[in-house]
Formats: sequence, structure tokens, C-alpha cells
Amino acid sequence: MSNASRRDVLKIALAGAGAAALPLRAQAEGKTITLLHETSFIKTFDEYMQNTLVPAYEKETGVKVVYELTSVGSLPTRTSTIIETGSGADVTMIFLLYPFLFGDKLQDVSDIADEVGKAQGGWYDAGKEAGIVNGKWKAIPHSNIGQLMNWRTDWFAEVGVKKFPDTWEELYDVGKKLKAKDHPFGFELGHGFGDNHGWLYPLLWSYGGHEVEADGKTVVIDSDETAKAVDFARKFFKDTMLDDVLSWTDVSNNKAWMAEQISCTNNAESILWFAKRNFPDIAKVTDQAQNPAGPKGRFHLLNCVSHSVFDFSPEKEEAHKFLRWMMAEKQLGGWYASADSYYQPFLHAYDNAPMWQVEPRNIPYRDAMTTAHLPGWPAPPGRQLAESVAKYVVVDMFAKACSGAATKDVIKAADSQLREIYRAV
Amino acid sequence: MVVRSEPIVAVGRLQRRPVTLSTWLDRGSVFSWLMMAPPILFLMAFVGYPFFYGIALSLEDRMVAQPGTFAGLNNFIRDANDPVFWKVVSNTFIYTGIATVLKMVGGLGLALAMNQQFRMKNLIRALLLLPFIVPTVLSTVAFMWMLDPAFSVVNRVLIQFGVPKPGPSWLGSPILAMFSIIMINTWRGLPFYGITLLAGLQTVPVELYEAATIDGAGGWQRFRYVTLPILQPIILIVTLFSVIFTFADFQLVYVLTHGGPQNATNLLATYAFDIGMGAGQLGLGASVALTMLPALALLIVAITLYLRKKS
Repeated sequence: MSNASRRDVLKIALAGAGAAALPLRAQAEGKTITLLHETSFIKTFDEYMQNTLVPAYEKETGVKVVYELTSVGSLPTRTSTIIETGSGADVTMIFLLYPFLFGDKLQDVSDIADEVGKAQGGWYDAGKEAGIVNGKWKAIPHSNIGQLMNWRTDWFAEVGVKKFPDTWEELYDVGKKLKAKDHPFGFELGHGFGDNHGWLYPLLWSYGGHEVEADGKTVVIDSDETAKAVDFARKFFKDTMLDDVLSWTDVSNNKAWMAEQISCTNNAESILWFAKRNFPDIAKVTDQAQNPAGPKGRFHLLNCVSHSVFDFSPEKEEAHKFLRWMMAEKQLGGWYASADSYYQPFLHAYDNAPMWQVEPRNIPYRDAMTTAHLPGWPAPPGRQLAESVAKYVVVDMFAKACSGAATKDVIKAADSQLREIYRAV
Repeated sequence: MVVRSEPIVAVGRLQRRPVTLSTWLDRGSVFSWLMMAPPILFLMAFVGYPFFYGIALSLEDRMVAQPGTFAGLNNFIRDANDPVFWKVVSNTFIYTGIATVLKMVGGLGLALAMNQQFRMKNLIRALLLLPFIVPTVLSTVAFMWMLDPAFSVVNRVLIQFGVPKPGPSWLGSPILAMFSIIMINTWRGLPFYGITLLAGLQTVPVELYEAATIDGAGGWQRFRYVTLPILQPIILIVTLFSVIFTFADFQLVYVLTHGGPQNATNLLATYAFDIGMGAGQLGLGASVALTMLPALALLIVAITLYLRKKS
């Protein structure tokens, strides 16, 4: 009896273990891929992926998608770690110069880019600049998060300005009057991630200055054009801004805007988006405009959000299929619309999409894409440019001048830093 | 008397017991190594391996996502030719030097005050540890608000005392920014000094103070000739730890200024991170981080030798 009983118990236990293992086996047979993203400032954007696109893909294909979010600013570290260890997410969000740094470890997605481009009105040139590495698409551009001018219409009106100034010099004149009325400007000159480069590169370019020639070798920062841009930045800072901008990081201008401390800044659309939801009275008097023009034209910083597939991923085929599906109009249109127009598409099919009418004040962000370039333009993106950006060479050149250093000294310092960076390779 | 000695070998043979696992483990030499093995393995895996990997990286031209090529001392030569690197080295020494002195003097004062008898002594001693317990990122964000020009409680107080509006730009001026991060580091590190020195103070025998008082020593003389000599080894050890932590500080600067304005607050750790992670140059970043090694190693050796000599 006792033997039989023990055998029974064993049978039950084995049957139980088998039953418990069944769903696991079934799950193991299904594919799972992970999409890594930096948390969006726009909550509804992440919610749309999590609650709409992920279940839809699973229903359609049986492939499970894990939408993994990482905090703002931590994506480069996460992707570097994944690449170095060869394990982690299969598809990743990627931006700025990183497709060019990680290119060897990213899958060639040219077929997706061609297909999506043909189906959705063609790519903006800025999209090609951000995604093509050595002739192959290594990142599929999703959208641009433009850095444009945010200005207070009520305070500008106090000094008789109804339309945003067209040139840097005109903006300077307005800023001088506004600072006298205790409504200073606030443009980041510290070591943030984006709001500093967001206006300083366009300012440099609009005066005709560049770090390096298009050959990617010849350092040309020491020029009359750069000197003019630096001279302008110095007086622009001194006569229109708060002293604290020298230490600002990316959150600072948003905070100052909501505290009604500044009348003009350079930022993404997040200022208006946040103000509309939390400070509606401020949102009513907030408008946005393209960057002012300089003697050599009008420019913007290309702040491209793209997606890449890691070439070493064991699920790279599935990841490739998912990226193709995600970039199809049916999915992409809804995803863009979920964030109003915070994310500006690189595909011409969306030039007149209804999302632009949700908040017409965002339209300058769409129009700015034709004059947007990556940091360091016209030099080809690569390790030297990434080093220059990481060392804040251009930002600190302007910031030192704003702190009182002589133009020739700050340019000389930047020139010697760039020569060292470019000589090293 | 005839003394016959027993053949030792035979006795040995007779008395030898078979070596079992438990008797082998009971041997002092085996047991001590057994006990030391886990921490040694742990240190090798989590300290030794990254350390030697860091040295290997610093000798390579190594981009993220690409295989490295041996570059000898090229990365260090590049650092030596980089003016920002020297600025960062100077910042790190200034930051560590001033913050350590402030923490040492302040911590000693704190410990002496806490060694007195007063009401709710234990509660106040516990509260003093708060700056040390609160995560650095959290307390730094609080300081970010306190030093913010629009919301600065510091500036509001100063304006009440007649400082012209809007008050000093605590993080915008290079000198004030360095001053601010030193002050915040001191605030955070003071309890470590204070509590450790307090523990040392409580070991000073009361008889020594009584004897000194009978000999006519005043308060200052009792401190100078009784308290300080006894506390000296503890002060040295605490300073050693504090210098190491401060020299390699990262979070405070990364959150508050990210090295700005114009590298005025950039330290070796933050600069190495920007080069390694921001620019993807792992080899060059490792070489910047490793510059901390000689200074710290010298300090550790000097303090260890001094303590050995004293003992």
C-alpha cells in the first residue's frame, strides 16, 4: 500500500511538472524580440507603442515584442553595453552620431529604407544624412525632434514685436529691449546634451563657420566667419540673457520657461506640450519659430530619432521583419499622431498630415527639416566628430567668449583641440 | 642511567592517523585559505578584472563596437596634449584638496560637539548621518533647486540682506560653480568624518584628561596634547577613504553641472565618462580614468607607511 502510494505521488508530481512545463515550452517555441527606447517626454507616444502596436504585432504574427524603456540620457550607455557584451535588445532607438559609431554592429536595413521611402513619398535629405553609413542604411529614421525658437508673444508684443524676428541681429535688438524690461532670453551655454548644440551649431553655420571641411580632415574653425559668430554670441549673451545660462543643462530652460523667467529660448516642442497640459496660461502666450538667419543662411540642428537592428542579435531576422512592419504607414501614422507633432516625420507623405493641424504652432518644426544638419556638418559624421561633440569643443568656444575671453583666444583653443582630435587618427 | 631513545620514525608511524577531509580542513593553513577564498575570488572578479581590463583598454586604440589595436602609450600622450585634460586634472586636485580639508576640520568640530552631554544626543547623532544616507543624486537635485536663480532659497535669503537681485549665479560663474560643488561634497561627506571621529573620541580615557587638567592644561592644550595624538591614526584612515571617494566623485558633478561651465567643474571621472561613453572612445576614456591611479596609489602607500612607522 505504502509503495503504491509513493508511486502514485511520484506520478502525480511528474504529471504536475509536465503540465507546468507545457506553457513554457509553447512560449519558448514562439519568438520574442525586444525594442529598446528612451522614455519619451510625450507619455502618449510610449503608451501607443505599448498598448496598441505591441499587441497588434503579437496578434498578427505570434511574435512577442518587449518594449523596454530606459531613462532619458542613458540610451548611449545602454546601447554601448549591448554592443560590447553582444546581448540585450534586438532593435534599438538610436540618434545623432551613434549610427556612425556603431555602424559595424548594425544590420544593413537598406531594403526597408527603400521600401518605406517609395511607399511614403520619399525621404527628406536630412533623413538620408542621419541614416546612411558608408552607402548603406544602418538606421531607419523615424523622426526629428527639432530644436527651434520658443518665444513669449505677450512680452514680445510689449516691445512692439508681433512676428518672430527673421535674423539673429533683429532678434538681438528685441532681446536687448526685453532684458531691459526684466524679460531676458535664456539659451543654454552649459554642458547639456542637446539644447546647447541646438542653437550654437546653427548660429555658427549661419555665419558661414564650420569645424571641419567636407573632406573630414581639414580643420577650418579658425576663420573670419567663426569670429563673427563668436562676436555675435558674446553680445547676444551679455545684452539679452541671464548669467546662469553658462551652467544650464537641458532641463534648465524648460524650468525657467515655466517659472516665467525668460522670454525666448531654443528647445524642442516639449516646452509647449508641457505648458499646454500644466501651465495653460503660459501655453497661450507661447509660440514657436524657425531659427533666425545669419549672413550665410538659416540652419537647424538635425536631432534624428532612428531605429537599428543589432547585427549580432539571435533574432535579427525577426527584428528586421518587425522594423519593416513598424515603419509601414498603417502603424507609423497612428504612432506619429499619438504625440501630436512632437516627432517630425522624415517622409514627405506626412507633410500635410492631419497631425500638423492639431497644433499649427508646431509647423515650423516641419519646415525646419530642410535646413537641418548633424553636428559637425559638412564633415562626414564619425569618431572625430563624436569626440568633438563629447568634449563640447564648439559649445565651450562660445561659452568662453560669453564669459569674457577674447574671440581670437577661444577660436585658437578650439582650433588646437580639433587639430589634436583629427591628427590622432 | 642509560637513556634509550625510541626510534622516532617508528613512533611516527605508529601515531599517524589517516588524513580525512575534516582533519585536513581543520589545519590552520587550509582553513584560513578556505575562509579567504570567497572574498579573494570576489575581489578578483569585481575589482581585479575591471582594473586590469581598464589598463589593457588604456593601451589600445579602442572604439566602441570595434576591435582594439595596441597603441602603446598613445592615449596618454594624447591626454598630455589636451588642454582640457590638464584643466580637469587641476579641477580634481582642487576639488579633492579643499573638500577634504573642510570635511576634516568640520568633521572634527562636529565630533567634538557631539561628544558633549546634551539632551536628545542620540537622536541628533542619528540625524547627522542623513546627508550621508540620502542618495547623492537625490540630494544633488535638491541642491540644483536651491541654487537655481529663479527658485534659489539661498539667493532669496541673500537678497533679504541687501545683495542686489537676482543674487550670485552659483553655477554660472566658473569660480562659484567650483565653490558650490565643493560645499555640497563637504555637506555630504561631513557626517562620515564626524561619526568616525566621534567613535575615536569615545575611546580616549577620561583619566588622561584628568591628569592633564591636574597638570594645569587648558582646553586647547588638552585637545592639542591629548585628543589629537590619540585621534591621529583615525584621522589619517578617514582622510584616506575620503580622498579616494572625493577624487573619483562622479554623480554630484554629472547631475549638477555636467562639468560646465566651460569645464570649470569637470573632474577626471566625468571627463573619462564623456570620452568613453559619449564619444565611444573606450581606450582614451580609460586612459583618462587611470590618471587617478598614481596619485591615489602614492597617497595610500604614504599613509600606510606612516601608520606602520607610528605603530
